[in-house]
Amino acid sequence: MHIHDYEKIWLVLAMLLIVAIITTITYGATAAGIGMISDQEETIDSNALDEDERFAEPRVEQVGENEYEAYVIAQQFVFSPDPIEVPANSRVTFYITSPDVLHGFHVEGTNANTMVIPGEVSKLTVEPNEPGEYGIVCNEYCGSGHHTMEGLLIVHPEDEFELEGDSDE
Amino acid sequence: MSGEGTVREIGHDEFDPKGTLALISVYFAILVVMWIFMYFVEFLGNEMTVIG
Repeated sequence: MHIHDYEKIWLVLAMLLIVAIITTITYGATAAGIGMISDQEETIDSNALDEDERFAEPRVEQVGENEYEAYVIAQQFVFSPDPIEVPANSRVTFYITSPDVLHGFHVEGTNANTMVIPGEVSKLTVEPNEPGEYGIVCNEYCGSGHHTMEGLLIVHPEDEFELEGDSDE
Repeated sequence: MSGEGTVREIGHDEFDPKGTLALISVYFAILVVMWIFMYFVEFLGNEMTVIG
């Protein structure tokens, strides 16, 4: 088969583009440390969230020196707790589940974004560095009030943060 | 393939679609720039990336 020189050029370029895109993704997953929301978490009975020690009382908990876990329920049409409050420059792992239908959990303007599936626990770890208030939106259509479903993530400056219930002072 | 209006016949390798090559090069450059911008600037440069 005879191929024109110009055709060779764009065939090679197209191949290079594919290789470059795959390389970029590999770089992101290894060197840049971008994580994926996995499906490795154990499933959960979505009708009995009140019997689960994590979700009976949605909250933020300190689990290490600078590590926090947030247990979040997304349901028609609220996120709880609301607001979710964490300190800056920490490592926060969200565990999010739903008692009713499919929801989304997207910290607006950031890369923290996951689907929330009834019966499953979405686990994602982030490191919030910039103090401020971040809106949380549901980005999966979940019913008539979907467009009103929003939450708030407040990232407090480290020295101003105190967990609810903590009264050291 | 020589009709009446044929002025000149050229072979397969003699025809160089320079315009097409230029167009494809421009598309390609746009793709590369957009990819780099989207991934490295917009995505990796964004706060609060999922790390686990």
